[in-house]
Amino acid sequence: MQKEKDIIDGCLSGNRRDQELLYRRYSPKLYAVCLQYSGNTEEARDVLQEGFIKIFENLSHYGHEGSFEGWMRRIIVNTALEKYRNRYYLSRVDDIDEVDEPAAGPDTSDFAGLEAYDLLNMIMELTPKYRMVFNLYAIEGYSHKEIGSMLNISEGTSKSNLSRARDILQKKVTILTGVTRRMINV
Amino acid sequence: MFDKEPNIDIVFRNGLKNFEVLPPSDVWDNISPMPARTPRYGVVMGIAAGISVLISLTLFASWYFRNNADTGVNTELAMTTGDQLPVTKTPVAISKPVIPAKTATLRNLPVQAPVTLKNEDIFTSPAETPATSTMISDFVPPEENTSDDITLPLTNDEITVIASGRLTGQNSYSTQTLTSVKPEAAEQRFIVGASVSPSMGFTPSEQNAHMAELIGSEKTRPSYTTGLTFGYKLSPRLTIQSGIGLESIGQVITGIDVFAGLSDFYSAKSNYLYSVETASGTILAGNTDLYLTDTKNRVGSVIAANMADPSKYNLTQVGSDIHQVFRYLELPIVLRYKIIDRKVGLNFSGGMSYGYLVDNYAYTRDGSNTITVGRTEGVNVHSLSSQLGLGMEYNISSTISFNFEPILKYYVTPVSNFYGTLYKPYSLGFFSGIFFKF
Repeated sequence: MQKEKDIIDGCLSGNRRDQELLYRRYSPKLYAVCLQYSGNTEEARDVLQEGFIKIFENLSHYGHEGSFEGWMRRIIVNTALEKYRNRYYLSRVDDIDEVDEPAAGPDTSDFAGLEAYDLLNMIMELTPKYRMVFNLYAIEGYSHKEIGSMLNISEGTSKSNLSRARDILQKKVTILTGVTRRMINV
Repeated sequence: MFDKEPNIDIVFRNGLKNFEVLPPSDVWDNISPMPARTPRYGVVMGIAAGISVLISLTLFASWYFRNNADTGVNTELAMTTGDQLPVTKTPVAISKPVIPAKTATLRNLPVQAPVTLKNEDIFTSPAETPATSTMISDFVPPEENTSDDITLPLTNDEITVIASGRLTGQNSYSTQTLTSVKPEAAEQRFIVGASVSPSMGFTPSEQNAHMAELIGSEKTRPSYTTGLTFGYKLSPRLTIQSGIGLESIGQVITGIDVFAGLSDFYSAKSNYLYSVETASGTILAGNTDLYLTDTKNRVGSVIAANMADPSKYNLTQVGSDIHQVFRYLELPIVLRYKIIDRKVGLNFSGGMSYGYLVDNYAYTRDGSNTITVGRTEGVNVHSLSSQLGLGMEYNISSTISFNFEPILKYYVTPVSNFYGTLYKPYSLGFFSGIFFKF
């Protein structure tokens, strides 16, 4: 298998084959990220396409320091955020009172039977603002302050949205795992 | 970062880790090829170097002319100091004007006969101005009357002398008045003209093996630039020129066999069926009636091997090479300095030129017939080139001149950067044009 650095150098050289190789290698993972941030496949496809164009355009700025996949993922996430801001941008809403972090839920082993596809569907079913905050906080690891500046909302709103997103997802997971257990017991 | 996070976060983070979904197949088709990335500092340095050269030339020329600018004034000083010999009714015909001559008509002046000034050095050398009495004595006496109405070629300096009463019989006037008078600025400062520059391109040696192989099977084709030129004289010797032109460059890709008639056997479902790798990018053969093949693995095809084999079809060969043509709209800025300013002069020029790709096509030739193949992907839409020239200027008349100037042109930005090889050809051309001064 061709080394990552060779592929990157080939892409920078304008070699279309290497560009396609890079795309084929990483697009499945990045498309999953796109779906995570988009409510539907159409939007995810647009984000992937725009994201890869940006990746190729900015490839010369990648200094081979840190994970290349992580670097690409950040570009894809930023592209998704840009699309969200353009599509769902609303004027800054009044701050909502900060919500306390919820207590720890059930043990994760309870959800061991969940498929990634189910989890993705649950996230995609969230409303855009909940989906964005949950992804940025729970998956990417950004702080509420960072999320606030990314989405032009206050920290309090970010916390509130996260709390609601968690509640919704918790219920969906519980229902799904419960159904699964019942099916298995039957 | 994940302080106090509930387990639901972990469930999703771990569950979606390394999750993959195959994207729709058409996404890749909509991502256009990325041209090779030139290191930005290289382009910036190239532009900076060009600007530095232009500024240096301008400063040098400015310094030179500032140090030589008072020649005309000193000429007047030389003529007006001294004993004021009776030059009344003695018209002066100066055989060699100091500054570019302009014809003036003198009417009804009390002139009797032309007088020739022998000591021309006095007029051209400011350092010798004190030799006033010698100058006056060098005037040749008038021989005969010519006419009351004569035409004399005069310079600005001479007009100043007349206004000061030099030729009207006034024997006393102040030197101060004359020394403060400067020549009038009524020169021909603007230039407009048409030019054509045939040239031949050269390809730099290439270290990339694949690129070297591609270049090895390509020949540059004669190119040319035509255009309109506008200029402004910053000083008698220095001119800044700009204009608009059309530059046509390209190359011939040899060893590609082109066959026609494919559409009778194969119905194309895409915009192109064949592609050809070249040093300037990839030719996409939009003419789907053509079947292309070569022995150097440069030709690619979207026709799967198990679907069709055009080599077995009864096709007609229409060419054995492909011509690539790129046309750029060119906006040059050139500084032209006259090293020798005579009827047949010598010019040095340097400048830069911005080009915008306006035409891009590839064709093959079947005898006298030209068959379009397609266009080249990966060619830079913008180009920046620098040029240096040293050539001749022949002044046909005071207002019309002809230039002939060998020019070396180098592309600062690569014409094509496919395969990242910073493909920067250079060319040697002959700039020739006719210019009108006003």
